Amino acid sequence: MIEVKDLTLTYPSGKGIFDVSFTVRQGEIMGYLGPNGAGKTTTIRALMGFMYLDRGTASINGLDCWSKATEIQRFLGYIPGEIAFPDGMSGDEFLKLMHDMRGTKDTKLQNRLLEMFELDPKGKIKRFSKGMKQKLGIVAAFMHDPQVLVLDEPTSGLDPLMQNRFVDLVLSEKQRGKTILMSSHIFEEVEKTCDNVLIIKEGRIVVHSDVQTLKASQRKGYVIRTKEAGAMVQALQAAGFEAGIVTEDAVEVFIIAQDADRFIKTISGFTIMDLDVKSQTLEEVFMQFYSREGER
Amino acid sequence: MMSFALFKATLKKNWLLLFIFFGVLFMYAAVIISMFNPDDIAQLISMLDAVPEDMLKAFGLTTAITNMTTYLASWLYGLLMTSLPMVYSIILANRLVAKAVDNGSMAYLLSTPNSRAKIIITQGLYALLSLAILSAALFGTGVAMCEAMFPGLLDIYAYLKLNVTTMLANIAVMMTAFFFSCLFNETRLSLGFGSGVPIAFLLITMLGNTSDQVKILKDLSIYGWYDPVKVVEGSNVLGLDLVYTGIIAVLFIAGVLIFKRKRLPL
Repeated sequence: MIEVKDLTLTYPSGKGIFDVSFTVRQGEIMGYLGPNGAGKTTTIRALMGFMYLDRGTASINGLDCWSKATEIQRFLGYIPGEIAFPDGMSGDEFLKLMHDMRGTKDTKLQNRLLEMFELDPKGKIKRFSKGMKQKLGIVAAFMHDPQVLVLDEPTSGLDPLMQNRFVDLVLSEKQRGKTILMSSHIFEEVEKTCDNVLIIKEGRIVVHSDVQTLKASQRKGYVIRTKEAGAMVQALQAAGFEAGIVTEDAVEVFIIAQDADRFIKTISGFTIMDLDVKSQTLEEVFMQFYSREGER
Repeated sequence: MMSFALFKATLKKNWLLLFIFFGVLFMYAAVIISMFNPDDIAQLISMLDAVPEDMLKAFGLTTAITNMTTYLASWLYGLLMTSLPMVYSIILANRLVAKAVDNGSMAYLLSTPNSRAKIIITQGLYALLSLAILSAALFGTGVAMCEAMFPGLLDIYAYLKLNVTTMLANIAVMMTAFFFSCLFNETRLSLGFGSGVPIAFLLITMLGNTSDQVKILKDLSIYGWYDPVKVVEGSNVLGLDLVYTGIIAVLFIAGVLIFKRKRLPL
């Protein structure tokens, strides 16, 4: 269980995180979202014991993250946000070093993970592609079967196939009762794996919600090509939709799931040449979240 | 107390650096020893007359060369045996801690159940032992070469005494650079201070050697507290050896304590 209470950690620049509180129960996967520089990595630094806190408490399975950092590492798996391996090592040398420094010997799980992510750890890490380095980081974080995992953007640099493998891995670990805190930029990944989501902005937690609520509030954007763009925008706006003209024959409209039926009926009278889904990044989804929170 | 797994990895990564410095110093020692010619001492001295005396002194060279042991103390231990290990120390000390924090790979060492203190002690011991091995190897090969080329001319006990003091001075400088490596999170600062301070020590010593009027400068430098020629001629350095050992211990402990308590931007 990860428990953070009133955590404040400020840098000399005045940036940092302020009064952050949350709990990740055993067997729960918590998604940790927020724009770059919002404080995700700072929170993780506090959990890893890399930085002491100015105020508040942070503990993992009841052990204080600063004073008991070494003990915590016995049952913790960690993927850094910016992975950097010791210079001049090959992949297997690195995994061997991790085993030796942890005092673990069993390589069964390591081999299974290498196979799962189709990674051959031979050769200098320096020559690895970004994706390979990320895979190596994943293997190192999971190979000693830790009870708690702190993952900072664990799939950055992975292709969609490997991202799915990672989702499978996280789900199977969850079934085995693991506690996971995971920061991410990829909505699908969070949607598929996480129970709850924290959103941090400018160092403060702005949203703490379950994934279902976040998902329900996700607006979908569509781009409709029609000759009657002007008239369509008027009709959509009259029906209460957020719509605008992109080019002279393209209309952009945003709707939430429950309005789908009304949306189709509103535009059914027009001649539509093409309909495209405008994909939304996770940032866009939660930026909306912020603005709605702000209106309240 | 220390992590053998990490020590092994550190050794594997850094032995080549040590070997290169050993190779260079060994070569210098071989050349200087083979150049010694008991019959031509007078000729050697007259050759040196052409060079201004102050410049010779700056490089730790004394004109009163009478025997093998003082010859080596002056020519080899006057500058070479401190300046080259200093360069080694600057490179190694920065690599061992600050570089790993700067590039982020320290995060992996700390994500294992090894305390910060244990990791720094391991790295510091490597720094210390590698210099001790370098000194021992140079002492051993030096004695062997002297005995092979000029049997019986070297005063081995005096030479050992000089080697111990030089080694301790070099380790004190290593620990200075290591302390800065523990103190700073950026290679830029670690290397800046870790090289700036030792180089200043060396330059101050060279300057202090030039004349008696500025001799007092040597008191400011770790290197200036002993005169290699006087050491082999019999001056007592036990007290000085203890001072060096104390400095080494204080800097090592300070490095560990600072690293243990600071915030790491990993």
